Amino acid sequence: MTKFQVLGVAALLFILISYLRKFRQPALDKLFIGFLMATGIFFVLYPEVTNQLAHFLGIGRGADLIFYLAILGFGYIILLLYSKIKKLEDRLTQIVRKQSLESIKLPDKNA
Amino acid sequence: MSTYIIIPAFNESPGLAAVLESLLPLNYGIIVIDDGSADETHKIAGAFPVLLIRHELNLGQGAALETGMEAARKLNADFVIHFDADGQHNPSDIAQLLVPLQKDEADIVFGSRFLEKKPSGLNFSKKIILKAGRWINYLITGILLTDAHNGLRAFNKKALHSIHFHQSGMAHASEILYEVRRKSLRYLEMPVHISYTDYSKHKGQGLLNSVNILFHLLFKK
Repeated sequence: MTKFQVLGVAALLFILISYLRKFRQPALDKLFIGFLMATGIFFVLYPEVTNQLAHFLGIGRGADLIFYLAILGFGYIILLLYSKIKKLEDRLTQIVRKQSLESIKLPDKNA
Repeated sequence: MSTYIIIPAFNESPGLAAVLESLLPLNYGIIVIDDGSADETHKIAGAFPVLLIRHELNLGQGAALETGMEAARKLNADFVIHFDADGQHNPSDIAQLLVPLQKDEADIVFGSRFLEKKPSGLNFSKKIILKAGRWINYLITGILLTDAHNGLRAFNKKALHSIHFHQSGMAHASEILYEVRRKSLRYLEMPVHISYTDYSKHKGQGLLNSVNILFHLLFKK
């Protein structure tokens, strides 16, 4: 196994577990996105570093490294959005339920 | 002792009137949750002496049941029964579901179509889904029922107040088992008769939706 294989599998597992276990925090998400942007800017300014880093991790080209990292990043963001949507749905459910119970029509006792 | 039948209904206008008519002679309170139906469901249910609650948006069967349970909690119900609006359940099964609860032998009673009575009109793929669902429920919840997803069940007050549905869709049937185990409720299964008409089959759950249910269960959200 190359160094990247270890790293890639670990990263994917981390994404899955952090999603399942809900220990993710909004602040961490922001840090993660900030880190992503900073890395992006760094790689744009010094593209040759990506090649060196890729070789160090056991990947052929720097472009491939970027590609793999992009997939990991997108996977994380998709799960993040999914859990946000679910949270919104839960809130919507609570609101609709509360409103529906407020307007209860009592049954006709004489019927 | 007050007993309420909870009926979630989403676009059930073709069969709802017949179901309500068959339940009225039992003399239990009836709570109908119109889950944001676009058809005449609200009007039809409104013509009966039932407690009618309307969701402005369609939220799913689990959410509708939870709303009905919340209403029953407010009404201080002693027993509640879940009953499907599509006519697949038999009103005469309700009395025997309540017996173990009244005798305080169980907190929750599940109807099962696979005990004793042979279900009518059940096709092969549905059988496979239900068999698989049964074992998946067991793996996730540790409770093995003979019938994985039967909508007919009865709760006593303790079960009514300790079980809350968070799964809006169809995964609530497994969620109940999970809660039963977590809260150590006493449960029993009783044979009930399910009739599969073309209408109820059309309204029922297909093979693909069982994938949805599994996904909701695994991710709990």
